Amino acid sequence: MIEPIKKLIELKDKILEKINEAADEKTLKSVQEQDLSKKSSLSGMMSLISSLSGEDKITFGQAMNSTKKEIQEKFADKEKEIHEKAIKERLEKEKIDISLPGTTYKMGGINPFYQIVDEMIDVFTSMGYQVKEGPDVETDFFNFERMNIPANHPAREMQDSFYITNSTLLRTHTSPAQAHAMDEANGRPLKIICPGKCFRRDDDDATHSHQFGQIEGLVIDKNINLGNLKATLELFLRRMFGEKREVRFRSSYFPFTEPSVEVDISCMECHGKGCPMCKGTGYIEILGAGMVHPNVLEMSGYDPKEYSGFAFGIGIERVAMLRYGVDDIRKFYQGDVRFIEQFTRK
Amino acid sequence: MKVSLNLVKKFINLDGLTVDEIVHRLTFAGVEVESVEQIAYGTNLTVGEVITCEKMPDSDHLHLTTVFTGNYGLLHIVCGAPNVRVGLKVIVALDGAKLPGGITIKKGKIRGHESEGMLCSLLELGVNSKFLKEEQTKGIEELPSDSEVGNDNVLELLGLDDVILDLKLLANRSDLYSVINVAKELETLFGRKANISKSKDPKNKEISFAVNSLTDKCSQFSARVIKGIEVKESPKWIKQALMSSGIRSINNIVDIGNYVMLLTGQPLHMYDLDKLPATELIVRDDYEGDFVALDEKTYKVKNGDVVITSKGKVMCLGGVMGSLECAVDENTKNVVIESANFDFASIRRTSIRLNLSSDSSMRFVKGINPNQYNEVENFTAQLICDLCNAKEIGETNTYLKSKYIKKVVKTTPRYINARLGTSFTDEQIVSALKSAFISISEKDGVLACEIPDWRIDINGEADLSEEVIRILGFENVNSELPSIKLSVGQMEEKLLHKCEVRSFLRGLGLTEQLTYSLIRESEVKQFAILNKESAYKVMNPLTDEHEYVRTNLLPSLMNVLQYNVNHSQEDLSFFEVSDLYSEGNRHIHLGIILSGNDLRQSHLKGEAYSFYHMKGIVDGLLKLYGIEEKRYTYERSNASELHPGKSAMLKLDGKIIAHFGELHPIVASKLGLNKINVIALELDLDALFNTKVSQKKMEITSRFPAVKRDFALIVNNDVSAGQLTQEIKKVSRMLIKNVDIFDVYRGEHINHGHYSIALTVTFSSLEKTLTDSEINALQDQIIETLKSKFGAELRK
Repeated sequence: MIEPIKKLIELKDKILEKINEAADEKTLKSVQEQDLSKKSSLSGMMSLISSLSGEDKITFGQAMNSTKKEIQEKFADKEKEIHEKAIKERLEKEKIDISLPGTTYKMGGINPFYQIVDEMIDVFTSMGYQVKEGPDVETDFFNFERMNIPANHPAREMQDSFYITNSTLLRTHTSPAQAHAMDEANGRPLKIICPGKCFRRDDDDATHSHQFGQIEGLVIDKNINLGNLKATLELFLRRMFGEKREVRFRSSYFPFTEPSVEVDISCMECHGKGCPMCKGTGYIEILGAGMVHPNVLEMSGYDPKEYSGFAFGIGIERVAMLRYGVDDIRKFYQGDVRFIEQFTRK
Repeated sequence: MKVSLNLVKKFINLDGLTVDEIVHRLTFAGVEVESVEQIAYGTNLTVGEVITCEKMPDSDHLHLTTVFTGNYGLLHIVCGAPNVRVGLKVIVALDGAKLPGGITIKKGKIRGHESEGMLCSLLELGVNSKFLKEEQTKGIEELPSDSEVGNDNVLELLGLDDVILDLKLLANRSDLYSVINVAKELETLFGRKANISKSKDPKNKEISFAVNSLTDKCSQFSARVIKGIEVKESPKWIKQALMSSGIRSINNIVDIGNYVMLLTGQPLHMYDLDKLPATELIVRDDYEGDFVALDEKTYKVKNGDVVITSKGKVMCLGGVMGSLECAVDENTKNVVIESANFDFASIRRTSIRLNLSSDSSMRFVKGINPNQYNEVENFTAQLICDLCNAKEIGETNTYLKSKYIKKVVKTTPRYINARLGTSFTDEQIVSALKSAFISISEKDGVLACEIPDWRIDINGEADLSEEVIRILGFENVNSELPSIKLSVGQMEEKLLHKCEVRSFLRGLGLTEQLTYSLIRESEVKQFAILNKESAYKVMNPLTDEHEYVRTNLLPSLMNVLQYNVNHSQEDLSFFEVSDLYSEGNRHIHLGIILSGNDLRQSHLKGEAYSFYHMKGIVDGLLKLYGIEEKRYTYERSNASELHPGKSAMLKLDGKIIAHFGELHPIVASKLGLNKINVIALELDLDALFNTKVSQKKMEITSRFPAVKRDFALIVNNDVSAGQLTQEIKKVSRMLIKNVDIFDVYRGEHINHGHYSIALTVTFSSLEKTLTDSEINALQDQIIETLKSKFGAELRK
């Protein structure tokens, strides 16, 4: 073997060893500068070619090329190896405790009262209902007279009210919002719900509240009947309480509807078999409803011979209490964030 | 209304029907049975006779007895009653007997003496003490001496085997304050014939007595004189009937009055004829003066109250209470029986004003049958004849405003089916109506329905449809959604906006609150922060805690904050959106409270809420409604509730629409909130909702790169960041896109009375890439302007 090739092999072994021994990018880089750059010892070997001639020149040239290639490949491999190792170490070092809490990006809690209102609005607007709020401070004309409860009517005994003057009061039900809506409709068909606050002179306890919410529903058109009411309530109550709910009517009395009904749904705990929640009856009283009394229609500018309508009124807290198992109506108004923040969604 | 089933059974045969069936049917037909009670209760009871009775040697009150009980033999029973004695017939609760209150009687030893049962008082069987004589409450019940020993039907023997239905009657069914009408209702619902006989007029003498009414508040007034009565204890059957209905027995004449009212629903009043100033009773409503009632109390009678007078003196407060002066007592010999019909509204007013109500006034208020007075008078007279041994029975004298006219309501089966959504046949409808005692004559498909006189609630076609469906059953209603014209379902605009604001704030992590609209006077005054209008005051509040209609939301939200702080909650952020009502006005307000830390700043330790958090929320709301910056300003708030240096008011189009900022330390102390940071906001949402904003059009964004330059300036404390940014923007509205503040510093290395502010100004042109020299020129201009306007110096 010619002397220069021998030298080349020696140099190659030395460089490869150095590459092999390099443990980090920095060492590897210095190897690159010392041994692989244009001014490196390897490049310097090229000068030896001038001392060779003929065949040797060609052989040495070839040896030179293959050596370069081999070293470059080894270098690239090593570079990759070191890089991967470094990444691995970095990732290991950067490991965090994923059990620590996340930054707070939650929706604020919603009072379950409003959760129910919002859902009911969704259900009814999807059926083409308008949503309007009547005023909390009402005239007794709208609160009573227009609801077919004339002065001294025995039904006024059922509703002990907060009066502001002799003729204005805090409304005792959302029904007067019906009358306002009918006045606005001016004799045209109407499909509306009216959510809102109501007030009665009840001492506050677990099941009574001087303030409570109601949602009033009213549909007026030609040929509206009790069966329409039943189907509407079935659709709505199943949306609120589950598709398996059965809905039944019991005869009742409200001055502004005739016939009037109490509406029960099959118990969501026992599905009608009877349990403590439904007091063994299998059904739970949920709302009052009926066919709009002809007097109410007439007072509101509708000809009761031509038009008929149904109306219903539902207690908002009652729905929330049943759905969420709330045991005390005062909890809706206390503002305890531990209570409210439980109810972000259904 | 407590209804004794035993009493109802006098008029209708209910054999084979369980109590549950009756309750269920009534309830679905609109007569809710609130509870089913038993007047007395006990199992394993029998009649015994005391054979021996000795005092227990080591006890001061116990007796050792042997009691013979027929089939159950001779039992040793220890008894503590003072009246136990040999020969007495007693109620024996045998081994295993169950008594009210979950008590079970078991054989056992009492002070070493065997006892195989218990001798009972009626109290121990659950009878309310108000129905018992004093001696009955102190010892065991003494059965009649002819009671059969070993008879197991003790409750029946005592007439205590009754079931009481407590009916929750709705305002329309006042007719059911009558046991006879309850029997008729059961006839309607069960198709069994009720047996209600008519009374004959027992009149046997002409006794003249004058009646009249000088007021139209009395539509009918009848009186009849009965002479020679004996007042004494009532017979057992009438006492039991009253007891089951919750009425205490007094004497035969009073009991008859109550019994007749119970059966017929017609309240009666009895006068002692000999105590009346004249043989006349005149109804009037123009009396003013004092009146001593049966309860020995004096009441002020006012013009408008219905009174029954005799020779000008008030003998009775019509329908409410009689006078003491002419009251029936144990010496009464001659009576006048009154049955009348008064205007319910007037009775109601008097009854409420004087806080006097009775079973009678309640029935008048609900409304009574206007057409049964004759029958009632005859029935009563007959009972007085039978139970009080009356000698002379006069005739019924009646004043009648106008003759009773039969009510006829016309309808068609088609109307009824159309209203109900049912498909009943004509026959079904006719037969249902007939079962409700409605007589029908049909002509050309129209049903002329004659309404029975006791159903004062049925006045129109709609009422008839209700009768049909409650009798035939609601399960016959065909459930079918209405088919009506399509319409857009939507919220009215303000409600929609309220929902948007609510979800925006919840999206920021704020919790939504709901609080009472009625608050204390002091609370109204403490936070009259934005709305200064005077608050509505409730005339008849229940407590001073809920006396005023709130005009701002912060008072309520402060309570919520206090509640949560008291329950160890910190890091609170919540809001309420609500309509507010003040004299003549309606506003929609938003209230927000921030306290503690904003937990979004870090997952472990948040940044304390400050004025700037709230300002950011307000900015967000303005942005939500597309309100341009030039339309609003923040100025220092003058609200006394807030820290003067850390609060602002928002002026929109020149009008103050919000105050917000840190709570004033004095107010915070008063509220006990001085240990925490409290940032509060009260904002008039109406103003936001009502602000007209022109249609937003797209703004062209530059294709050329923007350049940012930072400045650090030292300025006098009097100069606000807002002034600086505004002035910078003025330098070139075309080329200066943004001015952002990234640092504010006071302290070391900064001259006293000055502060350092660091800003980033973003330059950009729509037409080209700005050159360094162009930007430098702008930069110099900015520095020059700030120097001359505010004496600002570049920080070195």
